[in-house]
Amino acid sequence: MNPQFLADGILTGALLGLGGVGLTLAYSILRFANFVHGDFLTVGAYAALVVAGALSQFLGGSGIGPFSFGWPLIIALPVAMAATGALALLLDWLLFRRLRRRGEEIVLVMASFGASLAVRSLIEFAFTPEPKYYSHDLQIAMPLGFSVRATPDQLAVVVLAGVAGIALHILLTRTAMGRAMRAVAENPALARVAGIDPARVVRATWWLGGGLAALAGVFLGLTVQIRPYMGFDLLLPLFAGVILGGVGSVPGALAGGMIVGVAEALAVPFIGAAWRGGVAFLLLLAVLLVRPQGLFGMER
Amino acid sequence: MTTLAVENIVAGYEKGLPIVRGVSFAVAAGEIVTLLGPNGAGKSTLAKAVAGLVPEREGDILLDGARVTVPAHALVRAGIAFVPQTENVFARMTIRENLEIGAAVLPRPRRAGRIAALLETFPALATRPTLPAGRLSGGQRQMLAIARALIPEPRVRLLDEPSAGLSPALVSGVFSDIAAIAAKGVAVVLVEQNVAAALGIAHRALVLVEGRVAHDGPAAPLRDGKLLARLFLGHVEGAEAA
Ligand SMILES: Nc1ncnc2c1ncn2[C@@H]1O[C@H](COP(=O)(O)OP(=O)(O)O)[C@@H](O)[C@H]1O
Ligand SMILES: [Mg+2]
Repeated sequence: MNPQFLADGILTGALLGLGGVGLTLAYSILRFANFVHGDFLTVGAYAALVVAGALSQFLGGSGIGPFSFGWPLIIALPVAMAATGALALLLDWLLFRRLRRRGEEIVLVMASFGASLAVRSLIEFAFTPEPKYYSHDLQIAMPLGFSVRATPDQLAVVVLAGVAGIALHILLTRTAMGRAMRAVAENPALARVAGIDPARVVRATWWLGGGLAALAGVFLGLTVQIRPYMGFDLLLPLFAGVILGGVGSVPGALAGGMIVGVAEALAVPFIGAAWRGGVAFLLLLAVLLVRPQGLFGMER
Repeated sequence: MTTLAVENIVAGYEKGLPIVRGVSFAVAAGEIVTLLGPNGAGKSTLAKAVAGLVPEREGDILLDGARVTVPAHALVRAGIAFVPQTENVFARMTIRENLEIGAAVLPRPRRAGRIAALLETFPALATRPTLPAGRLSGGQRQMLAIARALIPEPRVRLLDEPSAGLSPALVSGVFSDIAAIAAKGVAVVLVEQNVAAALGIAHRALVLVEGRVAHDGPAAPLRDGKLLARLFLGHVEGAEAA
């Protein structure tokens, strides 16, 4: 086994994990498979591109230390997260809120498919299909030992993704809103009885899911490239990670994303990059056959 | 003094299919009213309707004489607490987290004190506060559900079959807790299948048959069982005639 593939897989896995959290939260709290979630990654990446581009006029475009990014992108990151969360809320207000009242999951899923198409088309129209980059500086991959090489940006992404995962865990277990979100996910009727306002929890879910998707999108843009299809193309591995970890489980989504990312990367030398997506699918089928509730999921 | 008044409640899960068909009753502060009736009579639906959890509801709920119009999640703050019959704890969350959710409606400085007070009342819950509620025994689960609902010090308690699944020893424990709660001035509505135990602590009894009130009066005369049997059975014959 080539340790370099493992390292690449960990990077992809960290991004899939972060991206998957919003998906699993949407599924457990809003109760539908949200296909527009992949495009939230894209929206986040482009929002950061625009904001960082504007800021670099004033702050300069050079990177900090060994990294390709500087203050413009660091400031743009929270702005992009907020913008994506706001877009998620807007879509909920325009679309999902009305359909949720009718309560049919399939209608919501189809609506999210439509929203996905619309968002992607808008981005493609505004930014063209050409790939974009936060920086055109070439980064040198540093040797890390065990014949593994990684760029400083890649290391930063893995570390920051880990920090985000820990922050998320604290939010969900130590704060009143986090507990309220878990309560609504588990038993919405009892949550209402206990005094939890479902509308507030729904809003928090969109903010959090959209924000984390944007974070994953910026990280993806930083380590790969920015394209209108970048998030949509990740939907299959994102869903695979979420289902693998157990739908509704946040630690499951983080772990499931990591497993899918690593498994894909390790399989590539044997099956070729073209079949990479098939690995997520096979892994998913295998888990569903052996443990239908996912690795971290509760039996229903 | 009437704390809770329920007026002409018609409630159900689908339009045009009422399960509760015009029920009125009142509960005073410190009073325990038990809601009895055969299986499927609509007792749980009535309790859920008062708690704002059924999709179709007509009629009025009055708290201290004022019409309650707030959505279900705001009832706790208004002073009405409901403990459902089933799935009444968050099984994937710890004992402490369940209690913290109960306390979240209180102003921040009062939360820790109320949780501590309830853990003192139910010492069985205090031994392993980090245990997921799903791993508790039936009796401890019921205690946790009651404790969670008690944290905000509601003036009205709706309990749906708190004795379900409990051993006789636990039933008498839970029921003496309920009597003690009422003695502090809380209005209690107690839905029960365990008729003897419920009549033992209740001041008044309401018999619900096919979604209507078949009897409303003091609990004591029902304790010998004959009247109650007639009310339950009378209904069955009536249903066959209908
Ligand atoms: N969630 C529900 N959806 C549809 N019908 C229900 C639901 N819950 C209960 N019912 C129906 O309402 C009727 C009364 O049930 P319930 O209120 O639970 O009675 P009880 O508590 O007196 O045993 C039953 O016929 C039951 O089938
Ligand atoms: Mg019942």
